[in-house]
Amino acid sequence: MTLDAAVGEATHLKEDDMARHVIDATKEVFSTMVMMDLEECYPLEDSVTHFHCSISGMVGLAGSYTGILAVHCPQSFAMKITSNMLGMDVDEMGEDVNDALGEIANMLGGYVKMVLSKGGMDINLSIPTIISGEEYSINSMAESDCVVVPFTFEEQKFLVSLKLHKE
Amino acid sequence: MANVLIVDDSSTMRKIISRSLRQAGLPVDDIYEAGDGIEGLSALGDKKVDLILSDINMPNMDGLEFIKQVRANGNNVPIVMITTEGGEDIIKEALSNGASASIKKPFTPDQLNEKLGGLL
Repeated sequence: MTLDAAVGEATHLKEDDMARHVIDATKEVFSTMVMMDLEECYPLEDSVTHFHCSISGMVGLAGSYTGILAVHCPQSFAMKITSNMLGMDVDEMGEDVNDALGEIANMLGGYVKMVLSKGGMDINLSIPTIISGEEYSINSMAESDCVVVPFTFEEQKFLVSLKLHKE
Repeated sequence: MANVLIVDDSSTMRKIISRSLRQAGLPVDDIYEAGDGIEGLSALGDKKVDLILSDINMPNMDGLEFIKQVRANGNNVPIVMITTEGGEDIIKEALSNGASASIKKPFTPDQLNEKLGGLL
């Protein structure tokens, strides 16, 4: 997948640059707030829309750019992330895991906003949204393309995706 | 020792900030929590608070409005924004509304110590 041409023209960022911002932001957030040093993989060619036993934390961007920043990870890994963030064992899905994934999406969305926005007032971030379940799909009705970066920590793998459109 | 009010809609972030305040070795006594600006104003009504740490992007009442209301009530307690909203214009607005400083998420205990040390 490639970044929307209008986004590239407006920001002077190629998809590799935007992927690098996503990688840097994700590694910083996880290193600082989750106490995990991540390894990134090469960005995926295609977006991922179907998830199994997973949880997705998403924040929307609206204003001079619109889009969605999403973190998709297996539920087992989401509980590990939450345990690290809270400093206590979390072994079931629920409010704590939803809140932790939402806050990670929020911090990553804030980073992307900083990259795209001139002063912070031209783009608004939504309150985070969480989807989780045994089987679910997430499909965008818009044609905008996206950057999808896989990350690994030990044996676990998760995705961060950014879908953007220039208004 | 100071009492601190943390205003953030994320319970995870409230716990992280609370733990980081202790880890930073700051002279903190009681730590109170609120999930948005409305709850924050309510907490200020019945608790002695020496420092407020507030998010900006929150439901019901956001951090910018919360600062305005605190100052409108004649309360001069220091307010530090801890937020992902690091844009220059938003920080300027928060400062003009009466915030004392801002800290960008994600942060380390050392960064908290550096920003808050002079306020406690």
